[in-house]
Amino acid sequence: MKVLLQTCAVVAVPLLLVSCSGANAADPASPPTYNPYPSGILPADVESETARVQSEVQSIFQQALAEANALPPATVTGQPPTQQGSGYQSIATLGKLMNFDVNMSALKNMACASCHMPYAGFGGPIPSVNLTMIAYPGTYHFRAGKRTPPRYTYSPFFPALAYDDTAAAFFGGNFWDGRSTGYLLQSPDAEQAQHPPLDSQEMGLPDSACIAWRLSQSQYVAIFERVWGAGSLTGINFPSNTEQICSTPAGAASFGTSVTPVNLSPTDRNRANVIFDHWGQSISAFEKSKQVSAFTSKFDAYLENQYTMTSDELAGYNLFKGKGNCNSCHLDGRGTTLTPGQTDNSTAAQANPLFTCFGYTNEGLPLNPRDAFYYQTTPDALGFTPNPDGFGYRDLALGTFLRSGYGSAPNPNAEWIPLAPKSDGRFQVATARNAAMAPSQCPTTEAPGPYFQKGFFHNGYIKSLKQLVHFYNTRDVFPFAVTSGHCPAGTTEKVDCWPMPEVTNNLDMTTGKLGLTDQEENQIVAFLQTLTDGYTTPYPNIDSFTGQCTTGGTASTQGNETLIPTPPLPPCSSNVCAIAPFPNPAIP
Amino acid sequence: MNRLILTLAMTATMAALFLPNRAAAQVPPPAKRAKHVRIVEAPQVEMSTDHLTIIRWTTNNPGGSDEHYGVVQYGTDPKDLNKTAKSPIRLNQGHAHTTFRVRVDDLEPQTTYYYRVATEESGGRRDPLKSPISKFITPGPGERIPASPQRGRGVQPIARQ
Repeated sequence: MKVLLQTCAVVAVPLLLVSCSGANAADPASPPTYNPYPSGILPADVESETARVQSEVQSIFQQALAEANALPPATVTGQPPTQQGSGYQSIATLGKLMNFDVNMSALKNMACASCHMPYAGFGGPIPSVNLTMIAYPGTYHFRAGKRTPPRYTYSPFFPALAYDDTAAAFFGGNFWDGRSTGYLLQSPDAEQAQHPPLDSQEMGLPDSACIAWRLSQSQYVAIFERVWGAGSLTGINFPSNTEQICSTPAGAASFGTSVTPVNLSPTDRNRANVIFDHWGQSISAFEKSKQVSAFTSKFDAYLENQYTMTSDELAGYNLFKGKGNCNSCHLDGRGTTLTPGQTDNSTAAQANPLFTCFGYTNEGLPLNPRDAFYYQTTPDALGFTPNPDGFGYRDLALGTFLRSGYGSAPNPNAEWIPLAPKSDGRFQVATARNAAMAPSQCPTTEAPGPYFQKGFFHNGYIKSLKQLVHFYNTRDVFPFAVTSGHCPAGTTEKVDCWPMPEVTNNLDMTTGKLGLTDQEENQIVAFLQTLTDGYTTPYPNIDSFTGQCTTGGTASTQGNETLIPTPPLPPCSSNVCAIAPFPNPAIP
Repeated sequence: MNRLILTLAMTATMAALFLPNRAAAQVPPPAKRAKHVRIVEAPQVEMSTDHLTIIRWTTNNPGGSDEHYGVVQYGTDPKDLNKTAKSPIRLNQGHAHTTFRVRVDDLEPQTTYYYRVATEESGGRRDPLKSPISKFITPGPGERIPASPQRGRGVQPIARQ
């Protein structure tokens, strides 16, 4: 034992020593604040809340550094070479460091985790943002994206995006629109981790080589090379202006049309690309570890006969797979044809139910006029305009991606392009696991609380799980040909008035009129809460939230006080709707 | 010694937390196709406004691709059902029956429409389903038939194909 500890210490010291090298680069100066928003769109506490999350992120980063320094000695052996015994732990620890490193954004003020904190199921950590602007501020304040941050949990379990000829449907990928396909690394989750650092409205690095550069300046060079090999992070001949380039947020007019402003030789560019791949693979390893995807919920314990559901939870489960039909998409891996008294010994389609079918669907969410994206129609100080189309933008999700369309990413498979019209308006079916996860001190998403405000679906229009279930249950019971904020007098939006869908093409009709009672809706919510990790084992960093809980009101109308009237909508922008193959029918 | 044990225990705990979890799940294969697909609840108007009608009906579970489409062929002439509306639904492989619901948009108010229904797999393969031709009348401008259907309300079978 003593020998082992001495060895650990010897290994730990070099890690710490290396950690100090190159960490003295001056913090980049922030450009003038970008605020194209009408009064009330940005939450009043956005600056203090962003600072609060940054503090929490840095605290967990220090935790990860300590874990890195506590790793046992690395023993690489065999062919192919393998880090025997501690390989998994090493790469996941490296991924954790990367995930919580604020230096991986252009202005060194934002980590991946800034939009994905553990206490929110690795989803959005700022209640006021979830309540209002729904897309998170990026490194350049206050550019913002266009959708809610999807939860990390279980994202590594999604297969690479594929069109299944038998099912005649798309499966897999990551992101709401599936644009992280996994075609190259065969891991959509690893490729997902490559997008936000380069997104002009998120972490804002202008060149993927900036990841290699910033990693080479990081406090964890040693653990990177422990995982990926000696010399794997060093040796690139970066030009002297690299930091200046990397600290200029993407989209700046000064870059012109260049997507590789860091001038590297072909050999060094290839090396930087390999490092960029290792970035994604390391973060994916972290997300697949039990620190993120834990399988420690009440439901997991129930499957092991270690937890007895309450009567409401069990009723909710039976509704989930019966009358509610939720498990037609959120697969629970269990049989559904049991009669009373019968034992569930079905041959589960999934041994580890993930509560998703990995598919894509249009549930008919109304356009959310609070989405910050719609207001970013003027250039910022760097000459970048995030959304020139304003309210002419329509979120066609998978359809836009298949067209390599505006605001998405290049589609790497030309055979899929004709399938775009059939995919318009379809978003990825998220896992239902951890939808209800909330911080320890405000352990629910539901009013009256104390609760943690979340935003559900891609545009955060839905503010509680009660509303989510009610939407599935009554979308077609209370439909009104109005936009959000314009429900008729005598009705209450989200209660007995649902504004029209943003996109009606391919609208899924599995749900919309389920015939559930109010009590049955509540029972499904109770069941969804059994899918929160942390029951059999405490969920790591669930207690890292240092903000405030919310209290009062009811879950049915939660957040309704922030509804605003949707302005008259201009026709769908030609940037979105006039790209072949055209939506069918045409989108107004 | 206690400190040593504590340190080792913490190391082991952290190591366990960083271990990967279970193997990736697979996309479940489609269910076996049913030999016969029959209507067990007749098509009916679930909800109707002056421009939109939702038609719903229930069959035995047809099997095949999980993503299915309900199809409504409709028109103002019962001999010329020249328009088609399709809506996707997902089969539940554990359910004996499947309810199809189709949105029929862009209708004229106070107009009689004739229609019949079909179901098909996501790739376009039709299920072997026989459907009668029925009709419905859209309400007047601004009016609505609420989504609390009584069986057959607003729908009258007129022929069997």
